[in-house]
Amino acid sequence: MDWVEFSDTRDDFFPLMKALPALAAGLTALLAATGCQKEEITTYRVPKEALPAAQPAATASNAPAATTAPAAATGTSGSSMANTPVATASGNALAWTAPSHWGAKPAGSMRKGSYAVKGDGGEADMAITAFPGDVGGDLANLNRWRGQIGLPPVDQKEFDRTTVHIDRNGLHMNVVDIVGTGANAQRIIGAMVPHQGATWFFKLSGPDALVAREKTAFLALLDTVKPAAPAR
Amino acid sequence: MNDLARQFRDFFVSLKLTVVLIVLSLILVFVATLDQVNLGIWAVQEKYFRSLFVLWNVKGIPVPVFPGGYLIGGFLLVNLISAHVYRFSLTWRKAGIQMTHAGLILLLLGELFTGLLQEDFSMRLEQGAPKSYSESFRENELVVIDTTDPKTDEVVAIPEPMLKRGASLQHPRLPFRLVVKDYYPNSALQMKSGAPPGAPQATQGIGTTVTAVPQALTYKQDERNIPAAWIEVAGDSGPIGTWLVTTIAGTSNSAPVLRPAQTFQHAGRSYVIAMRFTRSYKPFTLTLLKFSHDKYSGTEIPKNFSSRIRLETPAAKEDREVLVYMNNPLRYDGFTFYQASFEPGNDKVTVLQVVRNPSWLIPYIACTIMTLGLAWQFWIHLAAFIAKRTRQPQAA
Repeated sequence: MDWVEFSDTRDDFFPLMKALPALAAGLTALLAATGCQKEEITTYRVPKEALPAAQPAATASNAPAATTAPAAATGTSGSSMANTPVATASGNALAWTAPSHWGAKPAGSMRKGSYAVKGDGGEADMAITAFPGDVGGDLANLNRWRGQIGLPPVDQKEFDRTTVHIDRNGLHMNVVDIVGTGANAQRIIGAMVPHQGATWFFKLSGPDALVAREKTAFLALLDTVKPAAPAR
Repeated sequence: MNDLARQFRDFFVSLKLTVVLIVLSLILVFVATLDQVNLGIWAVQEKYFRSLFVLWNVKGIPVPVFPGGYLIGGFLLVNLISAHVYRFSLTWRKAGIQMTHAGLILLLLGELFTGLLQEDFSMRLEQGAPKSYSESFRENELVVIDTTDPKTDEVVAIPEPMLKRGASLQHPRLPFRLVVKDYYPNSALQMKSGAPPGAPQATQGIGTTVTAVPQALTYKQDERNIPAAWIEVAGDSGPIGTWLVTTIAGTSNSAPVLRPAQTFQHAGRSYVIAMRFTRSYKPFTLTLLKFSHDKYSGTEIPKNFSSRIRLETPAAKEDREVLVYMNNPLRYDGFTFYQASFEPGNDKVTVLQVVRNPSWLIPYIACTIMTLGLAWQFWIHLAAFIAKRTRQPQAA
């Protein structure tokens, strides 16, 4: 085992040893210098560019914060720009940009995205989920949601009549808007989005007045839903 | 040799030091791996490995709690080189060990150089629009551009870390001062009418209609922070105005209301003020001629995507077309351009990843040297063993 023979007290050291302290000091200085690189103002001259300077949306391989959200479309809809770009959540397959005034909640194991939408004394819940297959079909899903706010099931004809179809970014979305009855009526606005063999559900539920007021923001969010760009 | 020098030498050539450093690096890697859940890979690399010390924030004061990657790696490097030099003897028997150590030293140096010199930027190309710069995935800069000259722009770029609240920035190329009235490392925009009272005020540009609200920093790999700052431009005779700048305004990709560049005049010259992704200009131009995006029929699953690009240098030394597609990057001038991404629904845009790593060959060379060293060492032992075996029957 001669290759681990380390005797720490050999005196007949190699002449290069004399350079050792200098070497150690040099390396330490190099590391210290690199450890705290100083930020500096730089100046340079470049050929003129058309204004505004062309600049990309965030372009990491998974398309980070979307900078293309149609803020102007909603800029007039209320005091807060509903879908001014904030951080983009991205699941495995779809990415979206949530309105800035919606508070993100922990998604938990079932949800791809979860937001608390607060308003006058109430709170609505935005849930984004995805399940394999068609989960029983859009009609069954609508009737499940109807049941949740105390409404009787409807048939295919009624489903076809009330469902709004939206096509965005290569995705087809079936959007429904249902309101319960009574004094504390609940409302659900939901979108069912088939994508790559799964169905994605975007569901905003809560007190009727609050959900109705947030409908613009919800639709603006749908505008931003797109397949997450694959990594290289 | 005096006692101090001897102690110094014994410390640095000691095998105990090697063991301690390896144990420390094990702990560092373990903790950093766990912390990746909170910080993401990029922040973990900066905090744990590309630092001298791991710092904890105790009431706003950074306190070093553990040696960082650079410190451990640095000591390991000094330890290895010292031991190497100290025990050096030029014999065939030792050649394998020497080579293995030399390879390891080279590997450590390679990582140091990669950390220092590697550039990993992105380049978004719109069809027909020539571009000669790439942009950082993480870093941002405040720029003040003198646009007076009809042919060229003079850019003063201030890195984001210099934008501290209350900071006053001056530069010989700027005939005014920039005062950072406020700065949020991550923000979201909202209409000013809904802004909470006491929010910073802009007097010019988009900041008169929208305002930014602070957001928690994100460390996720697929998100980036959107910094916002209120910059007061102050000339000799007082303030010229205060602008709100953010990376999502003043770009061709911004929402329409935020799109116009923010400009102002001072002393007969025109300026643009903006916050943008840190740029790295190249001595050549790339133009997207065509982006192709094939999908498996009936699905949205990408089958193949490629970009036909024109590469030009100013003196027309180079002017050619190249095809960049998956696993077939363009290598030019020390940069490698990979087909990285695209924008769904927009086939007039391609996104390339631009990587420059001058020390990319070092790990290969280091591993080759180590392999040869180990093979040599093994062969020496095997040869000795065989010789012993062949001698044994005669002895018996």
